[in-house]
Amino acid sequence: MLKLKFALIALLMISAQSVLAQSKTIQGVVTDATGSPLPGASVMVEGTSNSTSTDIDGAYTLTGVNATDKLVFSFIGTTSQTIAVGNQTTINAVLAESAKDLENVVIVAYGSQKRTKVTGAISTVGAKDIAAVPITNAESALQGRAAGVNVVNGAPGSNPTVTIRGLATMGNSAPLYVVDGVLVGNLSGLSPNDIESMSVLKDASTTALYGSKAFNGVIMVTTKKGRSGKGQLTFNTYVGTQKVTNRYDVLNTQQYVQYAAQAHGSDVSGRAAEFGNINTDWQDQIFQTGMMKDYNLSYSNGTETSTSRYSAEYLKQEGALIRTGFERYSFRSANTQDIGKLKLGSSMGLSFNKTNPERAAGGRTLLEHAIKSAPYLPIYNEGNVSGYEGPRSADSNDAENPVRVANLGYQNINVLSVIGNIFAEFDIYKGLKIRSQVSLDYFTTKDHTFVPSYNTGTHVQGFSTTAETNAQGQTIVYDNSLNYKTTFADKHNVEVVGVITKIDNKFQNVVAGSRYEISDEIDQLRNNQVNLGSSNSVESNIGYVARINYDYSEKYLFAVSGRRDASSRFGANFRWGNFYSVAAGWNIAKESFMENSAFSTLKLRASTGTTGNDRIDNYQYSGTLAANYNYPFGAVNGQGVSLGRASNPNLKWEEKQDTNFGLDVGLFDEQFTAAFEVFNTKATDILFAVPLPASVGSAGGGTQLQNIADAKTNGFEITLGYNDTKGDFTWSATANIGRSKNEVTDLAPGVKNQLVGPSPRAGLENFTRLEVGQPMFYFFGYETDGIYQNQAEVEADLGTAQTTVQAGDIRFVDRNGDGIISTLDKTNIGNPYPDFTYGLNLNAGYKNFDFNAFISGVQGVDVYNANKFDLEGMNRLFNVGTNVLDRAIVANGVVTNPSATLPRALGATGNWSYASQRYIEDGSYARLKNVTLGYTLSGDMFKKYFSSVRLYVSGQNLVTITKYSGLDPEIARTDGSAASAGIDIGRYPQPKSVIFGLNVTF
Amino acid sequence: MMRKIKYTIVVLSGIFLINSCDTKDLELTNPNELSPETFFSTPAQVESSVNATYANLQTIGLYSRNYFFAMDLMGHDALGNPQLEGNKQPFQNFSFNSGSDIIQFYWESCFTGISRANFVLDNAEKINSLPESILSTARKNKYLGEAHFMRAYYYFLLVKRFGDLPIYSTGTIEGAARSPKAEVYALIEADFTFAAQNLLSKNDEQTGRATKEAAYAHLGKVLLYQEKYDQALAALNQVTGFSLEPAGSFYNNFMEETEHGVESIFEIEFNEDLGTGNMWDASSNSQGTGFAESTLRGQEYGNLSWYNVYPSDDLLDEFEAGDNRFDDTFYTPGSTYLPGGTATMTADNFATAAGNRRAGFKKYQNYYRRLDEGMQSSINFRVMRYADVLLMKAECENKRAGGSQAAAIAYITEVRTRAGLTTNINPTPADVFAAIVHERKVEFAGEQIRFDDIIRWGIAGTELAGTGFQVGKSELWPIPDRETSSNPNITPANNNPGY
Repeated sequence: MLKLKFALIALLMISAQSVLAQSKTIQGVVTDATGSPLPGASVMVEGTSNSTSTDIDGAYTLTGVNATDKLVFSFIGTTSQTIAVGNQTTINAVLAESAKDLENVVIVAYGSQKRTKVTGAISTVGAKDIAAVPITNAESALQGRAAGVNVVNGAPGSNPTVTIRGLATMGNSAPLYVVDGVLVGNLSGLSPNDIESMSVLKDASTTALYGSKAFNGVIMVTTKKGRSGKGQLTFNTYVGTQKVTNRYDVLNTQQYVQYAAQAHGSDVSGRAAEFGNINTDWQDQIFQTGMMKDYNLSYSNGTETSTSRYSAEYLKQEGALIRTGFERYSFRSANTQDIGKLKLGSSMGLSFNKTNPERAAGGRTLLEHAIKSAPYLPIYNEGNVSGYEGPRSADSNDAENPVRVANLGYQNINVLSVIGNIFAEFDIYKGLKIRSQVSLDYFTTKDHTFVPSYNTGTHVQGFSTTAETNAQGQTIVYDNSLNYKTTFADKHNVEVVGVITKIDNKFQNVVAGSRYEISDEIDQLRNNQVNLGSSNSVESNIGYVARINYDYSEKYLFAVSGRRDASSRFGANFRWGNFYSVAAGWNIAKESFMENSAFSTLKLRASTGTTGNDRIDNYQYSGTLAANYNYPFGAVNGQGVSLGRASNPNLKWEEKQDTNFGLDVGLFDEQFTAAFEVFNTKATDILFAVPLPASVGSAGGGTQLQNIADAKTNGFEITLGYNDTKGDFTWSATANIGRSKNEVTDLAPGVKNQLVGPSPRAGLENFTRLEVGQPMFYFFGYETDGIYQNQAEVEADLGTAQTTVQAGDIRFVDRNGDGIISTLDKTNIGNPYPDFTYGLNLNAGYKNFDFNAFISGVQGVDVYNANKFDLEGMNRLFNVGTNVLDRAIVANGVVTNPSATLPRALGATGNWSYASQRYIEDGSYARLKNVTLGYTLSGDMFKKYFSSVRLYVSGQNLVTITKYSGLDPEIARTDGSAASAGIDIGRYPQPKSVIFGLNVTF
Repeated sequence: MMRKIKYTIVVLSGIFLINSCDTKDLELTNPNELSPETFFSTPAQVESSVNATYANLQTIGLYSRNYFFAMDLMGHDALGNPQLEGNKQPFQNFSFNSGSDIIQFYWESCFTGISRANFVLDNAEKINSLPESILSTARKNKYLGEAHFMRAYYYFLLVKRFGDLPIYSTGTIEGAARSPKAEVYALIEADFTFAAQNLLSKNDEQTGRATKEAAYAHLGKVLLYQEKYDQALAALNQVTGFSLEPAGSFYNNFMEETEHGVESIFEIEFNEDLGTGNMWDASSNSQGTGFAESTLRGQEYGNLSWYNVYPSDDLLDEFEAGDNRFDDTFYTPGSTYLPGGTATMTADNFATAAGNRRAGFKKYQNYYRRLDEGMQSSINFRVMRYADVLLMKAECENKRAGGSQAAAIAYITEVRTRAGLTTNINPTPADVFAAIVHERKVEFAGEQIRFDDIIRWGIAGTELAGTGFQVGKSELWPIPDRETSSNPNITPANNNPGY
């Protein structure tokens, strides 16, 4: 109504004017490229104030126009058009979407910037790239696309591990995620279809505004918003399957029975015969072909003063392992409304996720059980409680039946998450704006596990167990900012931003478990053998932020920012931290002497600055008592309380100084683009849970959080792009490569040479280590040098006193030459963080066809393949890899097959227990992440009902080139911590998938 | 329009108000944990600090899992069946090294126990300042006595395995260097002595707690290990009010229903009814956190269960004909089980992939009352039995200057008579000693005592010949890597000989 009134008034005024001038009236319709009318588009006589706007049908009438005038048609998000009037009285205009304008704006902390004005290191991935590959989680869109960003995927529903520019901290190395200005923990609730663009902020000048949270870099996600214009309805869907095709080669029943007798002196032929010498391929039993489907519906529209967009998605993904999967329902809305000088807006995302994770038993993965299970055992046995077969003592093999582990009972993780914000922005006076925003990230999790009773021989559970964890978390961020933007003397552009931000974070959970002996029918908690616990934790942050950007005619760019931050995670004396950044840039291409050169972009950038890190658990500075010890005194429980965590009142911010130099090049009107970054990072006072000497016995895991280390990281990134059009054929290619290398430069006295990583298997040594002059968490162990062929060789190295090591055992390198293989002989045997990550992205279009191929890879990375302990360890009887057929055979103290690649079975403990080169492999790989072929339907029949219909077929992970012997060189961390990277314990391998999809725009 | 602006300003100022940055929000207290500053203000708090010192006995590193394996395998009471896990195998052929998780958990479990005892003792002043009306002096002393007892208990476990040790007589987070074994023993003696003087008697104390008698028995053992025979005998003579379970009731020492009987001086307590939910948590390895009130002993050894180890021929053959302990120590084909002996074991019940074994362990198994071990056992370990006191006294008499071989034989006879055996020992020191060696081997078969004995007697080299035991090396375990990588005062170069 309001609009109509305005239109009427405008018309009245215009008609009043037309009485005075001798001129004509022009009519017409303004449409977008698809032919849809554009309401609210502006039509103006160039150089005058005579203007109007289009009505709901895109139609306009403008009076008082002279034949010599030119009409300017413009609309938000489109390229404006200027048309000479001449003798026309009807002028229709088609306004094309100005994609270029959108691409040239980069989302940065607390605002956006023209690409040409950026002085820091930012990689962006746009909606087009994200849409090119059907992905289930948003993080995956960055893999191989954003230089210097390393993404490692896990099981369906799990959050990928993302590191930007390698490792600079020893704790949580995840970047900060910001969705439309909302700080969120991860992107799992967000449909990739809703993403407009992702910016990766990599250096301090871009991240410093998030000072305390941005230590590991920032991933800024901008969701799609409505655009002015006719409402647009889109529907995207795909269906597909995924499966893991790789298998470890393990022994069949015949080979296994023979191996058991020869290598372990165990006669299991009777047991095999009992089951009819069948051959169960346990790996085939745990992998499945998983179905995937996704439906996404969105509607967006807008007027001059308001925009809105609504979307809904359903995703279902069955895992490649049996009984695993992920389901997501997500809903999202975003609205803005202009009311004069006031702009109001909100966005709200709601998602329900359900994850069925991989079930594990005895702390072992399904894959480990599948490798080790005797091949002659059947899967089922009607006579056993639960109906599954399992090993007995006579099998000498206690690997659990992985099919039982996966199928018996269930684990459901249900997550409800709400991410939203509401803001108000007010134009106070000529470029001075005030903006207030409140944002919320809220989730509840219910993790329910039920396991009924079973008795399969060795593995017995005489009751059902139920466990449930309910957790709830919320982060509320209040941002108030003042922004002033002005230009004086047409050259001096100044922008000043000041922000006060406050973050309140709460988390609480209730954990309960019980068992029930009477029945398996009830999968809910019983008041029987109950475990209970709850916790509650709060965190608060305050930050004061200021940034000034200045440029002279967009040629010489300067930026300064500062942030003062307080975190409740530190004690009163160390609570506040100050961070700053300065940056400068020179747009050489804009200089007059470059005017006729081929360079459309040539820009030098330099920045330096600091960020801080408080990503530690809450309350760590205060000492605690642990009240969770119990001891029975007869039938009475004695509750125990003793020292928990040792206090460290000196805990303070971990700080990082980043320096970045960049060069942006664009040639021939951006047909060829290149960006080069060189960076150098110095982290100081790195926080780490230092293992205290075991002998001081401090409880709570025996660690104390301390600011113990300094480290440096150096690296570079190169991104190259090229695009070309020849007739109907268009193509583009981008390639990027990132390198980062870190080194520990200082460790506090008393914490040198720490062994910190987890032990991947019971009895295997710990091996990840911190040492000055070495990369963080490098692999520390023994070098190997073949196999001892006879006793004389053993004695030459180890003397005659010891009898454990004999012919057929591995020769470990006695680096210090003292005749004993001990910790003193260990050295650097590998680095789990890659030298390079890279990506190559090809897009091509020919007429209605479009094609994308996308390769990503890592180079120079070591993997500790703990599966080899199962496949080749031979320390007790389990099924093993066929490699063991090439083990050393010893007769009369001499190896009879000198070409043997593996040591003897049941040999010296060190063969399998030592952290050694035996387990280290090159984990480099190049993977065809995606290849997609699409076809857009044309023809009048479609045009009548649809703006666009595209069909495509897409394949993921179809080809992987690697020397790694495991199922997948893309190794998810065992426990999420930086210290456990690159350890393969049989985690979920990335499946190959084939997908058929449909994109419809109405 | 003005109305709208006004409205806007109201909205904005509202948002600002919500957002007022109150730095008080940064001052947070942890709602989940107790604070050390205010603790030790009630008797219940004092008692809970003492309870925590016991909890470490139940770790995977000690009696929940690893202790019985390591000790029985090293003593060759037990040998591994093919299914024995890889980290346990090295203990039967002495091929373990400083990376062993079993050695690490043992070290951590004991030292964590020591730090908890020190937490009590460091707060003695707070405890002693509680008014008499709230907590009597006698009870204050007995709580402190329990802490001394447990500290000595853990140090004794450590000194036997590692020799020289870092000594912590107060809590700290700074790692100490190794002190000579003799200084460690001095601390253990002082602690057990304090405990003996301040603890309550078994009759006056809550079941399961350290008592005056337990302190004297352990003091005696510690003195015996140092060959201080006269002092040892004096301490052991203070252990009164106990007797052997009568003939025919030897098995009372290994069942749940008969715990804390007449013969039992100190037990490691388990009670699955109190909860087992944290049994497989990583913190169970050496912290004893949560509810893990059962042991895996039955599941691991039982020949109807995992049957990971079996009694060695050497041990089976050590039993004399007619020794009625044999049938209480081992199951063999033909053994009956379940209440009333309603089920009988067959040769198939002793089948392994390496052929049928002669026997399985019966001590500490639950088959006398149920069909399967069910992963958890409530049966307490009787770590100090009166039979041990008697045989230690015999050893004191046998070894001390002016000792009576006849008195020694009398103690041995008491033990043998209960086993249904007659005694005919030549009263020379050598023959009496040989009789003690034999008697201890069969009396305590599968009770984790044999290896300690042959080490302190210096006969392990001959008794374990051909097993991989190296004289001068295998007597001690290596200090674990976990310690040498985190304690600047103990480096890998400071490790025990041969490691």
